[in-house]
Amino acid sequence: MNTDVIITVENLVKRYNGHTAVDGISFEINRGEIFGLLGPNGAGKSTIISILCCLLEPTLGSVVIDGSDIRKNANNIKKIIGVVPQEISLYHTLTARENLAFYGKIYGLSGRALKSRIAALLDMVGLTERADDLLEGYSGGMKRRINIAAALLHEPSILYLDEPTTGVDPQSRRRIYDTIQDLNRQGMTVLLTTHQMEDAEKLCHRIAIMDKGKLIALDTLKGLLELVGESDLIHVLAPEILPGPVESIKRMPGVQKVSLDDGNMTIQLLRGRESLVGIIDILTSSKIQVESIYIKEPDLETLFLHLTGTKLRG
Amino acid sequence: MKFHIIAAKDLKIVMRDRNALLMLFFIPMVIISVAGLALGGESDDIQIDVLIVDLDNDEVSRGFVEFLEEIDILNVDMESNEFAARDMVKNKEYGSLIIIPLGFTESVMMGHDTELLIIVNPTEESFNTVVEKIVEGYASRISTNVVVVKTASAYGIPAHTEEQILEIVDTAEEFVQPPPVDVIIESTTSNLVEFSPFTQYVPGFAVMFLLFTAVQSGAISLIKEQEAGTLRRLVTAPISKAEIIGGKIASTFIRGFVQLTVLIYFGHVVFDLDLGSDILALFVLIAAVTMASTGLGLLVAVHVKTVDQADSVSLLLVMLMSAIGGSWWPLSLQPQFMQDMAHFTITAWAMDGFYDLLYFDQGLAGILEEVKWLVLMMIIFFGIAISRFKFE
Repeated sequence: MNTDVIITVENLVKRYNGHTAVDGISFEINRGEIFGLLGPNGAGKSTIISILCCLLEPTLGSVVIDGSDIRKNANNIKKIIGVVPQEISLYHTLTARENLAFYGKIYGLSGRALKSRIAALLDMVGLTERADDLLEGYSGGMKRRINIAAALLHEPSILYLDEPTTGVDPQSRRRIYDTIQDLNRQGMTVLLTTHQMEDAEKLCHRIAIMDKGKLIALDTLKGLLELVGESDLIHVLAPEILPGPVESIKRMPGVQKVSLDDGNMTIQLLRGRESLVGIIDILTSSKIQVESIYIKEPDLETLFLHLTGTKLRG
Repeated sequence: MKFHIIAAKDLKIVMRDRNALLMLFFIPMVIISVAGLALGGESDDIQIDVLIVDLDNDEVSRGFVEFLEEIDILNVDMESNEFAARDMVKNKEYGSLIIIPLGFTESVMMGHDTELLIIVNPTEESFNTVVEKIVEGYASRISTNVVVVKTASAYGIPAHTEEQILEIVDTAEEFVQPPPVDVIIESTTSNLVEFSPFTQYVPGFAVMFLLFTAVQSGAISLIKEQEAGTLRRLVTAPISKAEIIGGKIASTFIRGFVQLTVLIYFGHVVFDLDLGSDILALFVLIAAVTMASTGLGLLVAVHVKTVDQADSVSLLLVMLMSAIGGSWWPLSLQPQFMQDMAHFTITAWAMDGFYDLLYFDQGLAGILEEVKWLVLMMIIFFGIAISRFKFE
């Protein structure tokens, strides 16, 4: 992985109608890196992607991509970026090949070069045999793979993926991961936004965690998990959880945070295994009907709860 | 310039859409055919049933009945019982009834005032007007006899015998045939084409369906691209916003232009619609109408947020413009204030232009005014729409 910086974001602010979607964010992305923006819906991730792909003007701050300022050289930037939007931005009554041909022509490709590029990309996403079928007959995962291929026609040096695995089956998710990792091995810088921990954990070299428009942590996965220390998460699922036992659990030694969400109680605590019996005692003595209870090793979910006090998927 | 790539893609999508093709060509052709045949049809086919009660049954009244029987579009039947005849009209067996009073011939001969009574069924109003005009025309001729006899009496020339009266009337008729004051109707063009109902209904319905294509489908196509995120994706590519909008406008324009041209040509081939002598002018008018409609479609697209909104707003606009702008009936049938209001619509200027070309055969010079207003509308619509267009 090269370590020279390809994207620099400084004090970025974006306000819409009095609402601040991005609030003074700064970060750098290195050439050849897979960089993840992780956060719940509404954290400001998509707004940052929209600014980085020249769709939105920042209210304040600066963005420099491969030496070009986004305000002054948007056209240069558009030539070196590939954008995979969150939605399937394709034409469903055209075939996969026709969709790719359309976007290829928009990027200035034509003739034999366009045909061979389309063939290579169809092969890469494993849809050569279905290339001449109308997209409306594709599964969600297949459409998402073509959605990615459409961003790669002009061989961009930076790829933005906005929630690339939303709503896809595990097989397609695996395929998308492989595609992203292959592209990265070939030297492509990847910026992906996601609210799925698995995406960030499996793909990203570095992860920026966002909440309410602010950057609350930025490091490698290992570095971020060290912020949590030795905390575990205990998840309890019960039809009704009363305030009394919750307060008792909060007073137990080692308990750091307790959150409740519609029959789900999440307890962040040190050395979870040692406290598990005590928690079960409190719940059973309060006659709470527990449907399931399990301990989770520290992960980004634990970190998010640790940093914000709320669950990532909330 | 890459706008043609977007236009070509849009047209390919339309060509694949069977419903869109039906709406573009087949449905308008069916509606034009049905409307033209049902509401107009061939004038030779029109037959008006008229019932006559001749209470006089004398020379002048019989002459009047013979006169009516010789008129091709009238089916004349006689009835002796006035009350039965009135009932037949009331029961809609006949559209109108003419009653010739007793002593009608004598009154005419002696120069006395008299009258012809027409009883009409209000549900047959358009046919009644025709019958009224025919009877009024004949009454006017008969009145000449009365006036002649009255004038002769006023100057002390007594007409005591029937022979003498007939002599005077014959002499008078010689003077009025041909009429001393003739009315000559001259058209502003020497190329007036024979009017057929399809002169109204082919362009009328063709313009209405063009509005559906350019305003409704044009707006919906843009909103769909916004909703699907394809418009956002295009903005992230190295293509200017002007090229993107240009591509969308071009595809809608081409679709509308082809549709209007095909429908007018359909009218020409199937219903013998006269296209006038200046085909270039016809294409200029079709282009101007289509551009103005495309502009309106873009204007609708920037003011709505969802496909459903685009659908209902444009449906309302198209129906309103078609109703008051002259798509469904000639504009001249509307009161003056409605005609003035109609000229705020694309339809009215389009229909004026088509009448100028297809009926009055005025050529390019005759449609400059209409084209000017259509181009002005296009500029206003595009100006507002493009300034407010949002890709987000």
